[in-house]
Amino acid sequence: MSVLLLQTSCEDVIELNLNTAEPKLVIEASINWLKENCGSEQIIKLSLSAPYFDNQVPPANGAIVTITDQNDKTYNFMEDGVTGFYKNINFNPVINHIYNLQIIYNGEIYVGSETFKSVVSIDYIEQNNNAGFTGKDIEIKAYYTDPADENNFYFFEFDSNTPIPASLSIYEDKYTNGNQIFGYYSDEDLNVGDKIKIRNYGISERFYNYLFILLQQNNDGSGGPFETQPASVRGNCVNQTNPENFPLGYFRLSEVAELIYTIQ
Amino acid sequence: MLNKFKFYLWLILVMPISISAQDKFTLSGKITDQHSNETLIGVNIIFPELQTGTITNEYGFYSITLNKGSYNFQISYLGFNSISENIIIDKNQTLNFKLTESTETLEEIVITENVEKLNIRKPQMSVNSLSINTIKQMPVVLGEVDIIKSITLLPGVSNAGEGSSGFNVRGGAVDQNLILLDEATIFNSSHLFGLFSVFNPDAIKDLKLYKGGIPAKYGGRVSSVLDIYQKEGNSNEFHMNGGIGIVSSRLLAEGPIVKEKGSFLLGGRSSYAHLFFPLFDLDSKAYFYDLNTKLSYNINENNNIYLSGYFGRDVFNISDSFENTYGNTVINFRWNHLYSDKLFSNLSLIYSDYYYGLALNFVEFDWKSGIKNFNLKYDLKHYISSNFKLEYGINSLYLTFNPGEITPTTETSGINPYNLIKKYAFENAVYVDAEHEINSKMAISYGLRLSSFQRLGQSELNMYKNNDAVSFNEELGIYEKGQVIGINSYDRSDVIASFLNLEPRLALAYKINETSSVKASYNRMSQYLHLLSNTSSPTPLDVWAPSGKYIKPQLLDQVALGYFKTFKDSKYSVEVETFYKDIQNRIDYIDGANLIANDAIEQVILNGKARAYGLEVLFKKNEGQLTGWIAYTLSKSEQQTQGRTAAESGINNGNWYNTPYDKTHDLSITSNYNLNAHWNFSSNFIFQSGQPTTFPNGQYEYNGINIPNYESRNSSRLTTYHRLDLSANYNPNPKSTKRWQGQWVFGIYNVYGRKNASSITFRENRDTGSNEASRLALFGVIPSLSYNFKF
Repeated sequence: MSVLLLQTSCEDVIELNLNTAEPKLVIEASINWLKENCGSEQIIKLSLSAPYFDNQVPPANGAIVTITDQNDKTYNFMEDGVTGFYKNINFNPVINHIYNLQIIYNGEIYVGSETFKSVVSIDYIEQNNNAGFTGKDIEIKAYYTDPADENNFYFFEFDSNTPIPASLSIYEDKYTNGNQIFGYYSDEDLNVGDKIKIRNYGISERFYNYLFILLQQNNDGSGGPFETQPASVRGNCVNQTNPENFPLGYFRLSEVAELIYTIQ
Repeated sequence: MLNKFKFYLWLILVMPISISAQDKFTLSGKITDQHSNETLIGVNIIFPELQTGTITNEYGFYSITLNKGSYNFQISYLGFNSISENIIIDKNQTLNFKLTESTETLEEIVITENVEKLNIRKPQMSVNSLSINTIKQMPVVLGEVDIIKSITLLPGVSNAGEGSSGFNVRGGAVDQNLILLDEATIFNSSHLFGLFSVFNPDAIKDLKLYKGGIPAKYGGRVSSVLDIYQKEGNSNEFHMNGGIGIVSSRLLAEGPIVKEKGSFLLGGRSSYAHLFFPLFDLDSKAYFYDLNTKLSYNINENNNIYLSGYFGRDVFNISDSFENTYGNTVINFRWNHLYSDKLFSNLSLIYSDYYYGLALNFVEFDWKSGIKNFNLKYDLKHYISSNFKLEYGINSLYLTFNPGEITPTTETSGINPYNLIKKYAFENAVYVDAEHEINSKMAISYGLRLSSFQRLGQSELNMYKNNDAVSFNEELGIYEKGQVIGINSYDRSDVIASFLNLEPRLALAYKINETSSVKASYNRMSQYLHLLSNTSSPTPLDVWAPSGKYIKPQLLDQVALGYFKTFKDSKYSVEVETFYKDIQNRIDYIDGANLIANDAIEQVILNGKARAYGLEVLFKKNEGQLTGWIAYTLSKSEQQTQGRTAAESGINNGNWYNTPYDKTHDLSITSNYNLNAHWNFSSNFIFQSGQPTTFPNGQYEYNGINIPNYESRNSSRLTTYHRLDLSANYNPNPKSTKRWQGQWVFGIYNVYGRKNASSITFRENRDTGSNEASRLALFGVIPSLSYNFKF
């Protein structure tokens, strides 16, 4: 059957007029604390949404960005020029503490709250060169051991030093609780000698749910017959001044296990 | 409601009293095909002087009660030579008739006038019958005759698009169609994601699609009933027929076990497109096969038994790392019994299931899911008088649901075995349906179905805070899983939830004159099973979920009004119908609902509502060298899920939105031209509004990837769909008296190569990094060739 589809089906890029919504604030407040690092230097990225076919998205400049920890200590994030990157170098990360984010942008106040999540280390890497549906892809499994006594959620990032876009995936321990299990990555364009930065982030259940939906939107197949209904995805930040103009993005705090792997 | 009841009660109690028995006699019997002894469904037996008549039922039986006298009568059936005789009715008698197939169908159809008159008088509306011969003449994709594809050419019937499973009737969802094969429920009607349907056309005798005014005999689905009957098999002599095509082949054998008493039928199909895969250097397979079997035995005048079965599977296999198998199984025993020449009964004992299996070797586990059902049906048809018939019966279903089982396949697998909680339910119904010709102008049918559904105990059931399986996070404006405050455990004999619904059905026909009539109908139906599908078209992986503590049954009210007219001695006919449907408790999914392997599905769904309305026009040319029809439907199909409280947003902000199968305009033109004994040509033209879909209205960047931000649900459409198909049948030796008869079928699908979008996807170009919209057109121009034979 599929052989006929391969012959007759055709995929082509088309011109399409899309509606354009008003720009929204996009919050990428990802506080990452690499294991064996002090985690004091943190960056929050603010940008705006743009028409779908634009080549880039504009930064959100001139915001007032602060994070307050549960001891009422406030960390100010200062914008680096007009880049939309807001930086703090005295951040104090504490596992399981609750942090509150506040952003004042264009006279509107945005807030969000999240818990700092821990993560286990990566145990080892396994590489297989005969993988994928065609049997020709290189696949990588990054093994870790899930703690049995709690519900855990993981966010894996595989980023190579090639133009291949980073691969993001999420895992829960529902079917793997207490086991040694792996984060999975495979790509047809990987080659021997490529360096892959593998990161495993500890995340909350809410972020897991958020990214679950977000990755579906980004999926190549979105809109196809087997994809879920696409939607505008809401994170954990709200606009207190004007709730209708809700922000996109997420405020997340994660411990990170990192490993650089070279394809053999 | 109470008044309605009283009305029904009055009808049922008062009307039959007017029927007196004196000087009346019953003529009954069976009508079969002379050649094969196959019973014929829907044959007209007409008494023109009396302006009355009857038709054979699903088992070829007829019965009519008349005053003493001498009458002319005619028996007519499309494609068969008519019988016209005189009869003296002075005692009860059994008369069986054998009809001979008309060899030259061109000039043969003589008595169609009375057929149409009769249909004009019958209260049943919104029904389409297609003979398998008509279906076999239509051109279809890849040269394969296909029942589901053919019914989508009728008004009010469409599907979500090319390569999508199932079909949609009058703006209803795919899971709202009751599909019966020899009375057994089929849960999934598609092979290879909708490219083929699961029904082998060679094994099928007759089908009927009810879109509205559905009789009380049917229930359990709210949108339509597709009632399909398999052939019994030739009880006179052994025959085989088959076809060889480029994608699949089929073979069917039938013959007597005991001459004129018992017969068998065995048919099989398989696709073999996977044979071509190695050419593409892909170590993969994708194919389907199915088997149809039937044994029939005529014990005596009053008793017939049937044993029939169906088994079908689709198989996808990719380089041993992934294997996917799914399909339906049906086993069915039936016993027809005549209590008297006026009372026909059928008892069915049915097992049917749907199985879905996935072996994922690369992650070292197996996945299995499915639904099983045991069904007992007892249906009686009581031919009380020539103008009053009563049907009544019971239907009992026991259902088991396996939402999923995970089994690790290796010692080293990192996956733990996991069984999703199995669910059980009991669905019962009793019904009574009356068909009453009040006078020569007016006929009415009215019925009542009482259905009940018991959700039986399961090992674990979540209890939620405030009984809310889905909670609304007011601060973030999103729906979230409800908070589990406890888990209840039940025995299988416990009833967790119970529903009872009264479903009145009513249909009226008023004959304006000899060639035209108006009809009206109302039906309420309930549906206790829901196919969990969050995509624009169902997939084989989707599981069925029963109603229960958190999921309410769907309730439908439909009204339809129609005008029917025939022209030029029934050479032409026009049917115009309008309908309005309202469905309560249509389930809807919260944004990002994950349905796969979800053990607490109630946490991601809400009960909403749906409505559909439209106008259907069917213009048919029934006779001559050129036959065919033009079907046009103008309709709207929407759904809405509002917040349960004022603070909640609802789904899609609580606004109505188009269902994925909303097609504003839907036009099909089907024609068949019989040039001569050798050549027969046919064509389809289809023009439809694009399928509703959701496009992005912006983009943003998060964690280094581009994310499209979407507008409200289904507020845009794919481009307009249109296509022309042609086919030609060539019969090399039409006059041949040899046993072997062959026929070539040439076809072209999508003649002018329209690139119809089956989907438009949005993605970041890997090379340029910029966003683009990509259209997938599944089928270009597809020529096909097949050879059919019989001997």
